[in-house]
Amino acid sequence: MERYFLLFLAAFLINNILLIRFIGLCPFFGVSSKVETSVGMSMTVIFVMTMATMVCWLVWNFLLIPLNLGEFLYIPAFILVIAALVQFVEIVLRKVSPTLFKAMGIYLPLITTNCAVLAAATESVKPGFFKLNIQYGYAIPEALVYTLGIAIGFTLAIVMFAAIRERMEVAPVPRPLKGYPIAFIMAGLASLAFMGFSGLFGL
Amino acid sequence: MIQIWEDFKSGLILENPLLRLMIGLCSALAVSTRVENTLFMGFSVIFVLTCSNVIISFIRPIVPEKARIPIFIVVIASFVTIVDLTLKAYFPPIYEELGVWIPLIVVNCVILGRAEAFASKHPVLRSVADGLGKGLGYTFVLLIMGMIRELSGTGEIVVFGASLSCLKPYFEPPRIMVMFPGAFFTFGLLMGLLNWIQRREGR
Repeated sequence: MERYFLLFLAAFLINNILLIRFIGLCPFFGVSSKVETSVGMSMTVIFVMTMATMVCWLVWNFLLIPLNLGEFLYIPAFILVIAALVQFVEIVLRKVSPTLFKAMGIYLPLITTNCAVLAAATESVKPGFFKLNIQYGYAIPEALVYTLGIAIGFTLAIVMFAAIRERMEVAPVPRPLKGYPIAFIMAGLASLAFMGFSGLFGL
Repeated sequence: MIQIWEDFKSGLILENPLLRLMIGLCSALAVSTRVENTLFMGFSVIFVLTCSNVIISFIRPIVPEKARIPIFIVVIASFVTIVDLTLKAYFPPIYEELGVWIPLIVVNCVILGRAEAFASKHPVLRSVADGLGKGLGYTFVLLIMGMIRELSGTGEIVVFGASLSCLKPYFEPPRIMVMFPGAFFTFGLLMGLLNWIQRREGR
């Protein structure tokens, strides 16, 4: 149990996917201008990321490894799985839950090209891809906990950042730095704060 | 001929993918810790972007409108696999350092963005020019960021084992510049500088 907690923490805070590892920055700056949209985006990311990791785990362990194709085909295989999955989720959601579809709708197509989803799936499934300080066995419960940690870390960073950016609208900023440049500098400060977590529990 | 030159030139400054279109940010911020890394990353992106633009432009008459995104992604993924395996075979230390960013070229918005917005609508030669131009624009910004960060963060620039310039005797380099927050700071200030220059020129 403790190991799962540490694994979650490593993905959630210590290697925060946005602020420490820069993966998935496009939506980070694209949709973080309002808290509401950022919450919608991150819910969609949590949902798609968890599903993508599960399916990629199955593809890797039951298709690519037995066929001995893992090293050569993992990139096309995983990205196709994610693209197909997003399409599938979109169709199912539209039929099953129109309200949820309305909330997620605009973000779903964006997610296919969100590097965070591909990165989370590859890291948690393909051995030796990302080195963690804790023992990680690439079994399905571990992969799920790890991915969930990444996704919730994404949520934390993007919602926090949206809240700051809403206030930034009215703050006096030097003219050339208005808009995106100041957002980047703020992200740098947030990243500085997150670096303080490194070394927590010896991770 | 003039048209082709225009396509090539637009990627360098006016429609620079990083500073102006704000796409493909994640990899740019993450790999710009060292000049050497930015060179390898830049060439990989130029290669994938140009080759995928050529193929997509060739097959554009027979690609059905509805299935275009998966087809583009498969084309891009095959070129990324070529780069992935080549770097792994010939430059293991660089591969180790670039790590997750090589497979993530697949979902680099620059490449899919150009495939969708340009190569799928224009003839082959113009697509080549566009790919080269946008790729060079990307590499150019990456190189500048790499130089700023490596010089200020470690005090010297080392490329292929040779030290190009050394400021070590003059100041104590702030390590923060080669760490994560430094990337955000550098990029934000670079964008601010570009805005400032443009405003002065416009006046």
